[in-house]
Amino acid sequence: MSLARLSRSQQSNRLPELLVPAALGTLMLIYFAVPFVAFLTRAGTTNIITGLSTPEAQVAIRNSLLTAPISTLIATAFGVPLAYVLARASFVGKRLVEALVILPLIVPPVVGGAMILTAVGRFTPIGSAAATLGISLTDSLIGVILAQTFVAAPFVIITARAGFGAIDERLEQASRSLGYGPLSTFWNVSLPLARGAIIAGIILTFARAIGEFGATMMVAYNPRTMPTRIWVDFIAGGMDAIVPVALALLGITLAVLTAVQRFGRVPTVIDR
Amino acid sequence: MILELKQLTHRYGDELAVDDVSFELEEGELLALLGPSGCGKTTIVQAIAGHVQPTAGRVVLRNRDVTEASPEDRHVGIVFQQPTLYPHMTVSENVAYGLTARGVEPNQRDERVSEYLELVDLTEQWDAYPSELSGGQQRRVEVARALAPQPDVLLLDEPLSALDRQLRERLRKEIARIQTETGVTTLFVTHDQQEAMALADRLIVMNDGRVSGSGTPRALYGSPPTPFVASFLGRSNTFPATVVAQQPPTLRVGTHKLTVSNQELSVSAGTSVTCHIRPDGLSVIAPGSENGTALSLAGEVVTVTDVGRRYDVTIRTERSDEFVVETVERPPEPGEEITLELPRDRITIFETHDHDRGSTTGVPEH
Repeated sequence: MSLARLSRSQQSNRLPELLVPAALGTLMLIYFAVPFVAFLTRAGTTNIITGLSTPEAQVAIRNSLLTAPISTLIATAFGVPLAYVLARASFVGKRLVEALVILPLIVPPVVGGAMILTAVGRFTPIGSAAATLGISLTDSLIGVILAQTFVAAPFVIITARAGFGAIDERLEQASRSLGYGPLSTFWNVSLPLARGAIIAGIILTFARAIGEFGATMMVAYNPRTMPTRIWVDFIAGGMDAIVPVALALLGITLAVLTAVQRFGRVPTVIDR
Repeated sequence: MILELKQLTHRYGDELAVDDVSFELEEGELLALLGPSGCGKTTIVQAIAGHVQPTAGRVVLRNRDVTEASPEDRHVGIVFQQPTLYPHMTVSENVAYGLTARGVEPNQRDERVSEYLELVDLTEQWDAYPSELSGGQQRRVEVARALAPQPDVLLLDEPLSALDRQLRERLRKEIARIQTETGVTTLFVTHDQQEAMALADRLIVMNDGRVSGSGTPRALYGSPPTPFVASFLGRSNTFPATVVAQQPPTLRVGTHKLTVSNQELSVSAGTSVTCHIRPDGLSVIAPGSENGTALSLAGEVVTVTDVGRRYDVTIRTERSDEFVVETVERPPEPGEEITLELPRDRITIFETHDHDRGSTTGVPEH
């Protein structure tokens, strides 16, 4: 970033070198902005407060606010250690593990949901075992969390792995030689230094989890989350019916993003 | 003995990085481990610190075998070539980091931190973050951080190699002062022979994973044990000779016979050997003015290079051996016929053409 700034100021009297990429990039931005603005314009004509005060909408918001943070927490608690191992160790079959991490990203979410169903559905060994304990793995909030975690966890793993990979291993070696074991070195050195990347990954994972629709629909169409609610409302009432919940979903994601960024002092999600 | 390496060997896959290296460090000693890049120096440091598990051999610290011990269970301070200060901690927090782990009481911690920041003359940077310091200041904080827990041995792995020359020389003196003041046993790893010779009490020269020679800088420079040491520690002229007799040690160089009283020969008559002499050991005289005490070879001046504080004169002898002579006096002209004088006591004989025979044309002086 600082390099780009430098070269721009040095060569201000020449034709800007970034003209062509900037022009192409602007087209991309316009394509992002137009649907967004169009949707927001439409939102002005509907009564959002009324739409959000229906019991169905309230339940959906509550379910989403309950499940997405839990999914994000699970993805972080298990994904960050995995990311660290992937960044530090080389072992036989590492390629396979890496492919496995990417798998949920390349499998269409709805297919991912189907896969989860074949693994933990009611009539599978796992599903029926859980059912005998009174735990329902599908069509339940647990099901929602399973679907969200499956689809969203790769983001925090991939981003955190890049963050750990960028840390010179010698910083960790210095910590070891100064008397700290591997765990406290991870806690004192690796984790704080990769914090920006990890937080960026958490935000991406949360955004993906709370917006998850395809896999959730397969695993737990009920109870409704905000995305499934939006789908149901759309089928029943068309575009205007979905505006309140859709805006609420957007609002929550933006609020979390801002809060985490402020709290974690990360400039932006992508630019580190 | 503070540190003993016993027949240390390490392989990375099929590649032999360290091959049967043994040496010792005495209390308070500053030993330089010197060698070209890729000769295995860093692997040795990593093995001493415990970041690399050697394929074979033992590492003994203060009479305790630590070969299998974790890095945190060895009392070793380490400074790398690359900066490893923690950017999320202040200078004082960085220095205190190792104290916390070693169980130094919080009230003594500040005292110890200021003691070591004072040692490296950075007391005023107490609350600064590493990014606010200059490269040289960062180096000094790293030294303070490594020393604060008072390790058994301080490992400096090319600590100055990433710095520019002026700063390097200044910090070299700093390190010498710090080492004298603290008396910490230090292993200084470098590829820079000047740096090593200026700093160390004793040198270990490595080549290709093996120890090629060890001793004081003066001894190694004056009478190198191997051709590699001869060429790595300064410049070297080499020329072939044949053993005429073992007792007294007599060689034949071309048509000349030469008795070298200061060395012993273990190879029998008729064996070919390689002789070495430093460029500053040679002198150029006019033909006919030999006094007979030195080996005198007739030759012709090929080139004369003025390098400012001296001239480098390249001479080709009748047998087409090339010699470089360093002289501060007015040099002869190229093409001039001269006589090259090789004082007997400056000649070193290498009997074996061992594995580490280095380049014989000499390393350019830094």
